[in-house]
Amino acid sequence: MSDANVFLGRRLPSRGFEAASLVFMSPAGLLLFALFLAPVGYSFYLGLTNLQLIGPNSVNFHFTGLFNVQAMLRDREFYHSLWVTLLFVVGSGAIGSTAGGLALAMLIQKGHRVLGGVVGGAAMLACTLPPVTVAVMWKATTIADGIFPFLLGMPKVEVLYTYPMTVVSVANVWWLCGLSMLMFSAALRNISNEMIEAAIMERATSIQRFFRIILPSLRPTIVTSALLMCLLSFGNFTLVFLMTGGGPANATNILPLYSYMQGFTFHRLAFGAMLGNVIVLMSALLGLSFVLISSYSARRQSTLTKLGSSDE
Amino acid sequence: MSEPKRFLGEPVPAPRLAGQTILVNLLLAVFGLFFVLPMLWLVLASVDAAASQQFKLPELTLQQFALALEPDKIQALVNSLIVSLIATVVATVPSTIAAYSFSRHRIPGKQGILLGIVFLSGVPISILIIPIYQLFEWADLLSLMPTGVFLGATAIPFEIYVIKNAIDAIPVDLEEAARIEQAGMVRILLRVVGPLCLPGIMAAAIYGFINTWGNFLPPLVLVSDTAQQPSPVEIYSFMTNNVINYGAIAAYSLIYTLPIILLYVAASRLFRGGFALGGAVK
Repeated sequence: MSDANVFLGRRLPSRGFEAASLVFMSPAGLLLFALFLAPVGYSFYLGLTNLQLIGPNSVNFHFTGLFNVQAMLRDREFYHSLWVTLLFVVGSGAIGSTAGGLALAMLIQKGHRVLGGVVGGAAMLACTLPPVTVAVMWKATTIADGIFPFLLGMPKVEVLYTYPMTVVSVANVWWLCGLSMLMFSAALRNISNEMIEAAIMERATSIQRFFRIILPSLRPTIVTSALLMCLLSFGNFTLVFLMTGGGPANATNILPLYSYMQGFTFHRLAFGAMLGNVIVLMSALLGLSFVLISSYSARRQSTLTKLGSSDE
Repeated sequence: MSEPKRFLGEPVPAPRLAGQTILVNLLLAVFGLFFVLPMLWLVLASVDAAASQQFKLPELTLQQFALALEPDKIQALVNSLIVSLIATVVATVPSTIAAYSFSRHRIPGKQGILLGIVFLSGVPISILIIPIYQLFEWADLLSLMPTGVFLGATAIPFEIYVIKNAIDAIPVDLEEAARIEQAGMVRILLRVVGPLCLPGIMAAAIYGFINTWGNFLPPLVLVSDTAQQPSPVEIYSFMTNNVINYGAIAAYSLIYTLPIILLYVAASRLFRGGFALGGAVK
């Protein structure tokens, strides 16, 4: 890696390098700083003030120390919201979408070519749709008289409001599944045929083949997909907001929604910012593990290929 | 004797059971229904004179599209177009030059910066809403154009990543050849690197556009004038009416969604064509 850099550096003329890269980086860097990094820092400060959306404290707000932190730790809805977020992000994101994508990719590989093409195409189409459109479709098809309550044999039941968490989770899986499927289809194609054929010759059953060969080979993809789906679900404010608005009775009040509500419905901007900071920390943790694991598996992959090539 | 001879080493075909094949295809069909039904409802309701949340054969009409194309609804589409174009330009131009620098220059701590960029592209935007609102409120910027600039900035990390990968794929030899021919820096960028990584830049630009076109919360909070609100907020106000006209929502959602689907198709073509560069150095 470092060898290649030195090599490139020697081939290119070295004059004016530093200055040129600074000039090249500065527009993107300034924009990112002013509208992304600095606001995140500012949000941490705002979380420690008594800022309100309206009223005297909307202009003359001041530092209140850890007051909001204490208020948050005493707030029962905060813990409930944290739990609901976990259900949504891990349940429908990491587990649901990844399992769905894997199942879909394997079924398409095994099933009839035309049918597989149509289903794969539909899944891909679903994940290109804007979140607002997904929310419209899933709200209309899951309220009373919609097609899903009808198929479930309870046409007059407001399925969306009776099982709100399940329905928004399913809608989220519906939206993200196609992306995960794409990742798994590529990974499945990379599993060597010889290995599978050898297993078949040894008369391994399809279940044995799945657990002994396919699943272990897919492990890096499973981890990547799970983390990516987590992050995407975390960002999926719009779907939940439009379908249920966090209700009924806060049943789907995921953290991004709770932060928005506190800030713009209850006018407690500082408290909303504080809740937002918790999201920053959680997604930072997720993102960090994503980066670490992917760079680890990339390093492992390159060591493996190096080992493989030195064997030959 | 009549049994066909099998050569040594030829793989034995997997024992295919009819029952298993049927089961696989049945499951596949169930998945297919799951994906298609909500979309089918949207299409059917948009051409149904008596549209509701029910899934039924439509009484064909175009009146829902007429409702969806009233002047204020068209204005919302235009607003979406404005905000998305602003964001696309704000994101793509700085990302392209920064990506070039990342790909070709020697930068201390490059790996770390790149990891940071990958990380930023995964941060949910909703966390920025309150500080940005406070900032825009203070600077009196609560309108459409600043929102476009903000959304453009949030697309920069991913765009840098995509464009850098595209530039990495261009052999350095081409640039060196141009340099030997006494071509200047700007000329090399515009005539050699630019055209070659155009598919990558276009794909990144399409991402920037789609990202903004689909965003709902930032305009809802950051645009104070209702006449400036883009389509997602319009759909939201459709849905919060006392009497919900599902036909008009469906028709409007279709009009709003179609450009995105077309852009995705265009982007996937670009990606497929983008990697056919290898021949240039041979």
